[in-house]
Amino acid sequence: MIRWHQQALATGCLLNLMLAGGCVTSTVQQVRESATGMNETESVVVLSRKTRPSQEETEADFVNCISKSMRGGKQRVNVVGEQAFRDALFPWFEPRTAPVNASDLPELISQPELAERLASLGLRYLIWIEGDTDRTDSSGSLTCSVTATGAGCFGFLTWEMDSGYEAQVWDVRSGNLAGRVSSEAVGTSYMPAVVVPLPFIAPVRSSACSSLAQQLKSFVLNEG
Amino acid sequence: MVKASMSGAVSSMLNCRASSLVLVLVLAALGGCGGASVSVPGLFPVPLVDRIPLPMGLHLDESLTGYVHAEELEEQGEWEIDLGSAQTQMFQNLLSGMFDSVYPVANPAEPGGEVAGVLVPNISEVQFSTPLQTRSDYFEVWVRYRFQLYGRDGELLGEWPLTAYGKADEDNYGMQSREPALQAAAVAACRDAMAFFTVQFRTIPEVRQWLLTEAGGPSR
Repeated sequence: MIRWHQQALATGCLLNLMLAGGCVTSTVQQVRESATGMNETESVVVLSRKTRPSQEETEADFVNCISKSMRGGKQRVNVVGEQAFRDALFPWFEPRTAPVNASDLPELISQPELAERLASLGLRYLIWIEGDTDRTDSSGSLTCSVTATGAGCFGFLTWEMDSGYEAQVWDVRSGNLAGRVSSEAVGTSYMPAVVVPLPFIAPVRSSACSSLAQQLKSFVLNEG
Repeated sequence: MVKASMSGAVSSMLNCRASSLVLVLVLAALGGCGGASVSVPGLFPVPLVDRIPLPMGLHLDESLTGYVHAEELEEQGEWEIDLGSAQTQMFQNLLSGMFDSVYPVANPAEPGGEVAGVLVPNISEVQFSTPLQTRSDYFEVWVRYRFQLYGRDGELLGEWPLTAYGKADEDNYGMQSREPALQAAAVAACRDAMAFFTVQFRTIPEVRQWLLTEAGGPSR
């Protein structure tokens, strides 16, 4: 009876962990500076800041995730790939030369070659992404051994991830800042291990990506 | 027997499936030895600028086209970056975007009558750092170039240095990140050299004087 009770308790704890492990809390905020909207022939590009002193670049797969998410869904947005854009506009969007503020755009676009290339891409909005996902807390311990007869792990780990991203939307046509959209997400992951580790990962970064991409899409299409 | 232990410092590898964790730990235990050998691919964009209406000569010395930086780091093995194999394409693209036409010149002191000047680039120094050295997530590469500009009569008009920098986040390249991340940092340094050269060229005093003589002014 006691043994059954212990097994039930252990199973209950595991279920709780599995349920709680997937939880992510995310919030999205938007500040609009000017009216937006785009037609079917226009496109956007999503770029990450790669300025030298910063050691906290936005992850490449996050930028790809935003681009991919904006391309998909009900109302699709034409998104130019980041590398294709940087190559097409080389050298004006390299870390050393990229404009820092939206107010730098008019001077840049006044170069006929650039204006012509941007027009051929149909580019309407430049979206600069800054921020990253960090581990903010962790505890527990886990030990793994590999021997000639087999391998196994024992222990328990838990860690919290925190995503913070901000997107600045620049209107290429007017050379103004159209607005800002930010996304915050927090989630806790667990990994108990009795011989085999069982990771219950909170999808913090992907939650931040989907919520930010959805809001950006809505923002540039002027849906709210 | 291989035994590994983790405490609060959980690495990002924990995002992997449980079945691969043991393999990860074995690889992590074996890590530390190694180094990397990478070559920069010759895929570079052409600068989008107002072309200088002059025919330009380009002399690429073997010391540049064969440049390989090799270095042994304490407890990190031997590292090698082949920059030379990409230099021909890099400078061909760079100058073809900046000038009306580009011609290879065998001897910059005797350029012949076709070109208004000859550019001679060289690499004088390369440095790099690994994430282990800087306690960051980044591979970083610095390339110090030295440029010489010869006039149409073969006279040396001026020379100037240019330091290019590139970095790459190893987290963007998965578990076997050493080689692709170092390669990406080296490519970024080459692109930075091209970008820097493009915006700096017309501001070099000797170049401005040469442009005044040859083209009537340092066009944008």
